[in-house]
Amino acid sequence: MEAALPRRGDGVTKTCSLGEMMITALSRTIEDGTLVFHGFGSPLVQLAMHVAKRTHAPRMVLVAGATYGIDPDPPFLAPTTNDWVMDRGASSALGIEELFDLAAAGRMGRMFLSGLQIDRWGNCNVTSLGFPELKMKLPGGGGGCNLSCDAAHLTLWTTAHRALEDAKGRRRFRLADDCDFITNLGHRTKDGKLRRDLGHRGNGPQWLVTELGLFDFDDDGHMRLNALYPDTSVEDVLMNTGFKPRLASQIEIIPPPERLVVEFIRRLDPLRVHEKEIRAEDMRRRFTIA
Amino acid sequence: MPTRSRPIYTDPDKRKSLDDLASLVADGAVIAVGGGLSSREPMALLRAILRRSITGLTVVGSAHGIDIDLLSAGGALTRSSESYVGFEQDFGMAPNYRRALESGAVKAEDSCCYTLVQQLRAAIQGLPFMPMRSVRGTSFPSLHPEYRKMVCPFTGEELLLVPAIEPDVALIHAQYGDARGNLVIQGPPVADLLFAKASRMVLATIEEIVPTSRLGELRGIHIPYFYVTAVSEVPMGAHPTACYPFYAYDRPHTELYYDAARKGADTFCAEYLDIFVHGAADHADYLAQIGGKATRARLASWSGGLEAWKQLYRDGAMA
Repeated sequence: MEAALPRRGDGVTKTCSLGEMMITALSRTIEDGTLVFHGFGSPLVQLAMHVAKRTHAPRMVLVAGATYGIDPDPPFLAPTTNDWVMDRGASSALGIEELFDLAAAGRMGRMFLSGLQIDRWGNCNVTSLGFPELKMKLPGGGGGCNLSCDAAHLTLWTTAHRALEDAKGRRRFRLADDCDFITNLGHRTKDGKLRRDLGHRGNGPQWLVTELGLFDFDDDGHMRLNALYPDTSVEDVLMNTGFKPRLASQIEIIPPPERLVVEFIRRLDPLRVHEKEIRAEDMRRRFTIA
Repeated sequence: MPTRSRPIYTDPDKRKSLDDLASLVADGAVIAVGGGLSSREPMALLRAILRRSITGLTVVGSAHGIDIDLLSAGGALTRSSESYVGFEQDFGMAPNYRRALESGAVKAEDSCCYTLVQQLRAAIQGLPFMPMRSVRGTSFPSLHPEYRKMVCPFTGEELLLVPAIEPDVALIHAQYGDARGNLVIQGPPVADLLFAKASRMVLATIEEIVPTSRLGELRGIHIPYFYVTAVSEVPMGAHPTACYPFYAYDRPHTELYYDAARKGADTFCAEYLDIFVHGAADHADYLAQIGGKATRARLASWSGGLEAWKQLYRDGAMA
């Protein structure tokens, strides 16, 4: 049994960072009693899963990416995912084939995925900009392609929604009109075929958490703005998105984490590994916590 | 062409020098590199391969980093079918790998982890292909015209068929092993067990060769000797990736590597390859270049407790 959070905080923590807001928003997409997996190179998601396990989802099966350890209790986050630090306290570990088999057999409840292009249907590209003419080779998606089809639900995330101008004044949208290559499958293929007609196990993207807002996907499988941060606006989202996202009838404000959650995140990540995911201009953002 | 039968290896003493191990990798071979990300990659063996100027290699694998990036820089590759090559969020994209693929010197035939697993499983079972449900609807089939679809004769659902992958050589670094070729891998095995069973040859570097009688006392994944073609005892053979419990990941050395790689191919050649690969005559020379016993002691210090372990990974920690 994982240790629950202590009941009293230090009484000093009064604000949190964008990273801590995003971790909390990601953790809220996890349901208790489900098997949840994170990949490598995603400390925000690693922390979100540990937060969920110690708050609302104590019976979640936490499978750590790269080590495939079950319910580990790492003493701190290492800067690389396949490190012995990361599976300390695990009750057992899976082999690579077992991890993917259980997703293919319908046992994996949720997986977290990202992309350097994410389109309105939740397709993600982590393979290459430009295809088949390769303009920029991206690192590749690991097992994301397979799990995007097989995991019951997906939560997407990116910390680079804001489309900054490059030196030539061009803006490359992370939330792009079209993915050059579909690495991870969303709700609709490049030629307009519906995911549900492909007979995959999984139901596709359910949530997208960015540094500007929280999105869900409507009945058409189209991305829809659902909530904002206290310091972002609908205009920020529209200006920085390469297509027109749909808007929920009521746009909420993402609630901040409880103080105990913030303190837990800071204890588990003393090296601030997750801040490598956050852009410099977003490091200054602060949010009042409950 | 029916699937070929695969050999077994029964030589009671398979010990060879590191260079002799590397000499068994032929130009143009399909190789499976063991370990993953920053863990237990057979780096000494890869450096030995680069020193021999072996070329035309195809790599297949799951999630990798400095290993494939180094092979890309050294001119050994012509095709990559990896699932991921990078330095995670810590340093980012793999500079040499990117240059090699973007210039067209290395053909990008990316795969994904479970697709690879199924293809290796087909080889392991002596079957020509395996079916799977995922991948359909993504762009991967356009990179891989060899994939086929079929309608399942039992359920009527559409499935993807992926052909067997039988690597010519698996390169594995194990913590322990014996002269006969039994291997013990501690901690996450990544795809090493699949690689060992699916490949025609297994070349293993071993941190510590021990008597066979001791292997039974060791925890971990055991690979039987008959899969293994040749072994070499190479302490620190995974450096700068981790080989726990012997040593942790050398993040400062990786940062040095990354900084040189980011500056361009010529700078990487001058500041890294010419020093740590071609500038070192052999592995002993390499160990001296990276700081000898002091480096080994620093990386072994993780076992001294959490503070020591954390210290290894702090920004600004000294090489």
